[in-house]
Amino acid sequence: MDKSHKEWQKEISNGVSELKVDQRLDLKGIPCPLNFVKTKLKLEGMEAGEILEVVLDDGEPIVNVTASVKEESHQILKVEKICQHWKLIIKKV
Amino acid sequence: MQKRSYTDAQFQELRTGGIIKQRQKDYFILRTRIPGGHLKADILKKYSLIAKKYGRDYVHISTRQGIEIPWIHIKDIQKVLNDLKKLGILRGACGSRSRNLIACPGASVCRFGFVDTEKLAKKLDKVAFGKDVPKKFKVAITGCPNSCAKPQENDLGFQAQGEPEVDLSKCIGCTLCAKVCEKICRRGKREPAIITDENKRPIYRKEHCFFEGDCIRVCPVSAWKVKKAGFAVYIGGKVGRFPKLGIKIADFVNEKEIPRIIKNTISSYNRIAEKEERFGEALERQDLEAIKKEIL
Repeated sequence: MDKSHKEWQKEISNGVSELKVDQRLDLKGIPCPLNFVKTKLKLEGMEAGEILEVVLDDGEPIVNVTASVKEESHQILKVEKICQHWKLIIKKV
Repeated sequence: MQKRSYTDAQFQELRTGGIIKQRQKDYFILRTRIPGGHLKADILKKYSLIAKKYGRDYVHISTRQGIEIPWIHIKDIQKVLNDLKKLGILRGACGSRSRNLIACPGASVCRFGFVDTEKLAKKLDKVAFGKDVPKKFKVAITGCPNSCAKPQENDLGFQAQGEPEVDLSKCIGCTLCAKVCEKICRRGKREPAIITDENKRPIYRKEHCFFEGDCIRVCPVSAWKVKKAGFAVYIGGKVGRFPKLGIKIADFVNEKEIPRIIKNTISSYNRIAEKEERFGEALERQDLEAIKKEIL
């Protein structure tokens, strides 16, 4: 686990304490549509019912990835702004 | 083979039926039409047969969702027309006739579309295509305000639009709807149609809405839905040497009204325009309110 990953884990730990997160993905600085591709691939490797937490940039990334994940029929549990980034909590269907 | 000769009047007749004289002697372009741009893959193969048999092994894709086959020799015109009929390829129009009705892919596949415009275009071909008019008449139908089929550049254009509504019981307070709305409204120089209250719940202000559906697409929990879909209607658009955008004369027109609106607009055009004049040019001399009544 790299440093930046640990950093944002700390950053967001307060907001989602009630949810058990199975996998995490830090997509800060990753542009569209690569951020969605990475999210999709991650979800494909997970079991149904598991929870993925994704951190995305503000602007296009949070808007596009949210819409695309929904279109893939996964359940979005939470969308939250944390400083300059967004956190998306997804339940794999 | 004996060469059939055509009179000027016959050439004109061919022209309105989509047979266009090339700059090269004795050669013609065969214009076909594909209503809404939706073509079965089997028919596409048949275009290839025609282009190989009568043309020069290539086609031209027109800007009006038609396929043109150049290099048809004058002696082959009758034969090629018979073949088209047998193969199920539709002829296009040139000269003083209404043209192929164009459409974007629409809601069948496009994530932005409110309406299945391709399917609609197929149904509307009968009322929109091949009617006698003073100059030409083009109809476009597009599935959302992105306007990919350019309804504003056609003599008559239909642009689908959707009024959103929110179910607050589903809302998780993410505020993404307000975020995308603010962005689109800023570009359109309007106040945002969605603002949020102190609990981050959206408040919808219809009077500022562009009805493009960004809030519906982005909502992670599908709290936003289409309440009502319909069409904005544009008239008098054209490009050419003297371009002008169409004028919007209605919002949220029901799909069922479209055939009637097309018929009315064509008859209005025939009534007000001089020969060789486009609808938009003739409209400049008219009282727009009276024309609206006539069309809608």
